[in-house]
Amino acid sequence: MRWIQAIFDILTNPQFYKITLTASTPFIFASLGGVFSEITGVVNIALEGIMLMGAFTSIVFTFYFGSPWLGVLMAIIVGLGMAWLHAWASIKWYGNQIVTGTALILLAQGVTGFLMEPIFGRPGQTDLIGKIEEIRVPGISEIPFIGKVIGELNPLVYIAFGAVVFSWFLIYKTVLGLRMRSVGENPEAADTLGVNVYGIRYFGVLMSGVLASLGGAFLSVGELGQFKELMTGGRGFIALAAMILGNWNPVGAMLASLLFGAAEAMNNQLQSSPILHVSASTKPLFNMLPFIVTLVVVSGFIGRTRPPAADGIPYIKE
Amino acid sequence: MSMRRFLWVAVLLLLVLPVFGFKVIMVTDTGGLGDKSFNDGTWAGIQRAAEELGIESEFIQSYEQADYIPNLTKAAQEADVVFAVGFMMTDALAKVAPQFPDTYFVGIDIVLDNYPPNVITFVFKEQESAFTVGYIAAAMTKTNIVGFVGGIPIPPVERFRYGFETGVKLYADLHGKNITILRGYTNVFDDPKKGKDLAVSQFAQGADIIFAAAGACGNGVIEAAKEYFTSLAGTSDLAGLIDYYYKTGQAFFAIGVDVDQDYMAPGAVLCSSMKRIDNAAYYGVVWAFEGTFESGLKVLGLKEDGVGLSPMKYTKGLVPNRVLAELEYLSTLVKKGELVIPDTQEALDAFTTPPIEFPF
Repeated sequence: MRWIQAIFDILTNPQFYKITLTASTPFIFASLGGVFSEITGVVNIALEGIMLMGAFTSIVFTFYFGSPWLGVLMAIIVGLGMAWLHAWASIKWYGNQIVTGTALILLAQGVTGFLMEPIFGRPGQTDLIGKIEEIRVPGISEIPFIGKVIGELNPLVYIAFGAVVFSWFLIYKTVLGLRMRSVGENPEAADTLGVNVYGIRYFGVLMSGVLASLGGAFLSVGELGQFKELMTGGRGFIALAAMILGNWNPVGAMLASLLFGAAEAMNNQLQSSPILHVSASTKPLFNMLPFIVTLVVVSGFIGRTRPPAADGIPYIKE
Repeated sequence: MSMRRFLWVAVLLLLVLPVFGFKVIMVTDTGGLGDKSFNDGTWAGIQRAAEELGIESEFIQSYEQADYIPNLTKAAQEADVVFAVGFMMTDALAKVAPQFPDTYFVGIDIVLDNYPPNVITFVFKEQESAFTVGYIAAAMTKTNIVGFVGGIPIPPVERFRYGFETGVKLYADLHGKNITILRGYTNVFDDPKKGKDLAVSQFAQGADIIFAAAGACGNGVIEAAKEYFTSLAGTSDLAGLIDYYYKTGQAFFAIGVDVDQDYMAPGAVLCSSMKRIDNAAYYGVVWAFEGTFESGLKVLGLKEDGVGLSPMKYTKGLVPNRVLAELEYLSTLVKKGELVIPDTQEALDAFTTPPIEFPF
């Protein structure tokens, strides 16, 4: 009974939903990035590395120029650069996309670790340098309950959900989106019909760089105002899982991200619940909740997901 | 003649080389240097000793637990003194130290089953330091709910919790308050965002003061307190926060850990529960250098100045003088051994507030 009471308390607390939103945001950005890349047929496991670079770059520019928004802008540019490397190696030179992606992750970890000392004068992590503050949306923030959930959030959270709508529209309602999907499913056919396969694939991968980098920037200048080495903590890989769970669809990826975020929020709230008497040594089990949820959902509730047919296969022009 | 010159050079070299060559290498745990916590504390102590003695110091960063043994081995091959920092390195230290009998090893937060003659380890009575911040938190909370955010529930983290809970209980019993403690663990030490999420969860459940004993995750807790307090007061500068507190009596505070973290968010960090790891590290180096190294376990508490409350540079004015005076008196009792702060769960469960009469 205590458990039911505790879960009920949590579900009726608006803060639970707000924490879900902020915990999901990095997953949403990065999984959208994954969608863009993979529906054009390029596997991008470098999301984790691009996020890390995004997190780092945004803090560096905030540190030098005092403007977190400039940091976000530069993070996008660096994300584009990282993604371009991936695209160049895997589209132009038909490289193995898993290998290139792994190399980019290692590159990001190495570069950020190396640059800490010359830029911030010490390894490891920075001080709390500065971040984008939450904004209050007039009108919405006065509505009871809902206002507490979505009325006052970090602007990047709103941008994340905007990006979902934008991506969905772009992919399913425009000619460009149709071409992206056709290139991911059957590049030969698309090529025969005059679609620029390489160009479209470049576009998809570069978009993934922009979005993953935004996810990283949200972690550093959005949430914490500091950078710590390896601070992405595997979120790029969870985003890949969200993309697959969402069946390579922006809305599906968003829902899967929200599910992971909710599991994380539930974990935090349950652990801290004053009415549950759980010993300290068993509390870390709660931290497995997001992974248990993933297993259950993947194995039980979601039907088969199907990747784009040409996903991961380099296209070699005859 | 040439023989004599050769001898002179040899003697000079013998004199100079040991000084020149004396080298300290610190192996960090996964939290890494820059955690503003025990890795940084150890490093600060080593640096202080290195400057005074004019010796070399280096560090090796561990990125995962599998790095501990290779890193310690590598360090032992090059250095005269090797520091193993953190409870997580216990097994690695026990394996590596006996293989290098000519190298001194200093372990921080580590207890070994048996001590080779070249190993000193330091542990701290974290509970005595955390009890002071628990007492202050209980005195300052307006919602009568305080939070605890731990990293992985290893003994040093748990000792912080026992002390914190004891401090809260002492204040509550002595002043007839009823205070709830929320407890959560991030289960990692190096993901600040997890710390923030957990802190926000506890604020959402009514806590207004949160003590973080979670390594680098604690930065997220401090950031959460800063964000909440700033949003409440409508300003982020110290004077504004203090004015707001005097006007309304409301606030959100974080409590720092290991080193003085008050500066990280002035006004939003109420105080820090300090472990003077720097002092321990400093003596580790000095003893090895001077040859007064006695192997074994050293336990440092309030009495030995091994732990303590931060000076509260920014927030001391917010805490009523009476609370500080009471705390001072209780600390004396702890130092005298008349008040024992529990260091196990069983002792904590069995702890009852003794009848304490303040002499004022």
